[in-house]
Amino acid sequence: MKHLDKLIQELSQQQLEKKTRRHFLMDCVSKMGGLALAPLMFGCGLDSKPKGLELSQRDLNPLAPLPPPFRGKAKSIIYLHMAGAPSQLELFDYKPELAKYHNQPCPESLLEGKTFAFIRGVPNLLGPQANFTQKGESGAWVSDFLPHFSQVIDDVAFLKAVHTDQFNHGPAQLFMQTGSPRLGRPSLGSWVTYGLGTENQNLPGFVVLTSGGKTPDAGKSVWGSGFLPSVYQGVQCRSKGDPVLYLQDPDGMSRDMKKNLISAINDVNKEEFNQYGDPEILARINQYEMAYRMQIEVPEVMDINDEPEYIHELYGTQPGKESFANNCLLARKLVEKGVRVVQLYDWGWDSHGTDHDGSVDMGLRNKCREIDRPMTALLLDLKQRGLLEDTLVVWGGEFGRTPMQENREGKQQSFLGRDHHGDAFTMWMAGGGIKKGASYGITDDFGFSGIDERVSVHDIHATILHLMGFDHEKFTYDFQGRPFRLTDVEGELIRKIIA
Amino acid sequence: MIDFVFPLFGRFHPILVHLPIGFLAFGIILVFLSKKGENKHLDSIRLAYLLGAIAAVLSSISGFLQYQYEGFSWESVQFHFYFGCTTALFSFYLFYEINKYNSITSFYKLKSGALFALMLFTGHLGGNITHGETYLIEPLPAEVQNFLGYETTANKGLEIPEIGWEELVYYEDVVQPILNQNCSSCHNSRNKKGNLDLSEYNALLKGGEDGLVLTGGNPEQSSLFTRLVLPKEDDDHMPPKEKRQLHSEEIELIKHWISLGGTTESKLGDAGIEPELLEPFIKKEETPFYPTTAVSSVPEDNLNVLKESGFFAEPISEESNWIMISCINLSSFSDADWEKLNPVKEQLAFLDLSRTQITDQSLDELVGFPNLTVLKLNETGISGEGLEKLLKNENLKNLYLNKTQVTLEHLESLRNHPGLEKVFVFDTPASGNELAGEFSFYLERGNYLLPKLATDTIVY
Ligand code: HEC
Repeated sequence: MKHLDKLIQELSQQQLEKKTRRHFLMDCVSKMGGLALAPLMFGCGLDSKPKGLELSQRDLNPLAPLPPPFRGKAKSIIYLHMAGAPSQLELFDYKPELAKYHNQPCPESLLEGKTFAFIRGVPNLLGPQANFTQKGESGAWVSDFLPHFSQVIDDVAFLKAVHTDQFNHGPAQLFMQTGSPRLGRPSLGSWVTYGLGTENQNLPGFVVLTSGGKTPDAGKSVWGSGFLPSVYQGVQCRSKGDPVLYLQDPDGMSRDMKKNLISAINDVNKEEFNQYGDPEILARINQYEMAYRMQIEVPEVMDINDEPEYIHELYGTQPGKESFANNCLLARKLVEKGVRVVQLYDWGWDSHGTDHDGSVDMGLRNKCREIDRPMTALLLDLKQRGLLEDTLVVWGGEFGRTPMQENREGKQQSFLGRDHHGDAFTMWMAGGGIKKGASYGITDDFGFSGIDERVSVHDIHATILHLMGFDHEKFTYDFQGRPFRLTDVEGELIRKIIA
Repeated sequence: MIDFVFPLFGRFHPILVHLPIGFLAFGIILVFLSKKGENKHLDSIRLAYLLGAIAAVLSSISGFLQYQYEGFSWESVQFHFYFGCTTALFSFYLFYEINKYNSITSFYKLKSGALFALMLFTGHLGGNITHGETYLIEPLPAEVQNFLGYETTANKGLEIPEIGWEELVYYEDVVQPILNQNCSSCHNSRNKKGNLDLSEYNALLKGGEDGLVLTGGNPEQSSLFTRLVLPKEDDDHMPPKEKRQLHSEEIELIKHWISLGGTTESKLGDAGIEPELLEPFIKKEETPFYPTTAVSSVPEDNLNVLKESGFFAEPISEESNWIMISCINLSSFSDADWEKLNPVKEQLAFLDLSRTQITDQSLDELVGFPNLTVLKLNETGISGEGLEKLLKNENLKNLYLNKTQVTLEHLESLRNHPGLEKVFVFDTPASGNELAGEFSFYLERGNYLLPKLATDTIVY
């Protein structure tokens, strides 16, 4: 009972929070007006009929699909986030000039006014630790760390001068995923799910899969719903064990029993609704039913065992393991089944050079091997099924890495590593609405800063929303008395990469 | 001879209306000044309300006459008229009440307050008629206007047509729209920050507090340009940093215009600017993906019926009448269920029947959906026999036949399809065989493999 009281209290608190001074004044106006008019209406009194209940689809089912404001080129997103921030200088941003200055002290002019997470004093420059070649018809440079991916670069568009103002993982990941480095904002996936609902009513609209052994530094808030209703947050699914925790019935509970239980609860809830007419109750009924349906469909779609052998070979998947490869295959399956947003996080890209795994010449290579085949396979598999027509694939970290070798505490390190760096890094996008083979953004000779066609995190969000059918300036949610946007007051479309 | 009296009286309405306002406001003030049980203002209040009521009646009559003789539409004046009459009646009523009870109660004060509100509102409605509904809104900052739901002319921004942009007048059609969008909320004829009005060319020429803002031919000497490129943190930077900032192309366009002399004559085409600069502003007439024929929108009810029977059914977008239907949660859909889709025959443009029970028979039904553009028949009983029936779906662009039994021979029958652009036949008999020749459409056969590389297994 205590618990219930708490819930009720919370609800009324929420309702009160929504009442602002503006509402109060508005109420005053309408009520004063009514007062003035009442005697004039020849004493017929106020209309005592309760207002007809006008329930929208969304009141009943918060995940009900909605059309986008204009035609989106993509229906779903698969976002591959490399948590820890991969080095653009070993993957895509080819800087032969940097190789020439390898091991030379970094020019002071580059360091002026900059803050680094770990670099102190004057570090040495660190030449690229990979070999680059131009690939495909687009002639984009790709390193030998990604031999498979270099075969499909004509399908992607590169952003080579992305910048962020955050240089620590947590805030930078939040910024990249929610548009703000501080907690409290809804993630990109939540915004999209809020705006479009979900196509498949038996699956969550926004699914999160993690690999690499750890979840992102910023925690679950990178897929949180912020001030949006919590139904829009990402549902974390596991590729090992139960896909969704607490979704399965306890031992001894049969499907029939569950069904009876839910219909009994729902009957009570319906009674309640007839009495009070609160649409929240209908939403609750709906959610019980959805959870019941998900119990069947989620384990089904999360099971990769019934995929044919050649698909496993293509992705390099090993069922039962937690891996980026498995997650890529799952992402394809989920999107095929009408899931709106699939967010992958792969941990382990923070190559500071403090140990073997964190070195840009060895550890980074191992990480690249883990994603090279799967992400290439994902693009090819989406392509052959025609899913790439309306699925947007985004790849990137939360920032980039310095052209200088990291010198933690001013000391030379035993492994080659690079520090966090937000002035210029590479991301790519592919699929729904993206111009194939495009490359946008130019960095200086050291890959330190963007010199032309720079894009901000907000620009990326604006572009993603655009491809999903939203004008990022008009897509708002009212909270604390003002409309909020994913892109806050910034963001420009990156037109050059839109088909 | 009497003819002119009514119209003339009507024309006195704008003057007469101030009488009731004055009388009644005076009365209301006295009501509020009176303490409980105190009667010293009673006579004055009585007189004020009576005069106010009479003046209100006269105003209403003159107002009605003005409406009769001066070409106002009834829609535009009706509420003003009703409220005017109500004000008159209500003031008579208050006059009557004070005569009857000879005292001022707090309830009476409340009613007087209501009278005041009523009078103000009537006056406001009247003001809207003569000055326009947005009279009070216009001077507000653009944000407040937007907040109140008004479309400000300011926020449209620059738009350039794809064809014929050469003929645009550089100042009028390019520079002014940029200024309107970004500057005129603070620099207009009513609100002149820095004593500068940028709402039209002649005002712009006058300059601001610090003198001229435009030196034709020399952007570096024109604060109209230099202020735009100052660092955002600089106090003199325009627009102030919390506002929408100009895009680099917009600044470039203004700079170029000033270099050309900063006149109103030059044409955009003669300015020798790179077309790339204009690209962000060009409203592209993209070749639309879906058919251009106009269809009526599907009534909400019909969509709801479809949704209730388990279909995913939504318009392609809020602004579109084309409908997207998918059976993602309705795998039981079969050849017998087509009539359920009858209400959207014309509007159906995107249909996903993947993993349903349909067979080749369903191909006969498709003729009834002339605007189908995307058709997904993945993992169904489609064998490929009779695929040529799709030739009649002239608007069809993307066809998905993954994991069906279609062969390359079946696809041959679609060779002369007028609109088909892409066909997907991954994991079908058609994906295995050698391709005999090119198709008129892009054929995605899939079966991608990634080679095994030595680096796949090397651990560093
Ligand atoms: C939010 C309001 C605001 C907006 C929007 C704005 N300005 Fe201003 N502007 C001011 C204020 C306040 C001043 C006076 C203070 C100063 O001189 O900095 C000023 C001064 C100026 C002056 C100097 C006038 C003089 O002679 O002193 C110029 C030139 C100018 N603005 C240009 C622009 C241009 C061009 C834009 C649009 C791109 C713009 N402003 C948008 C507020 C604004």
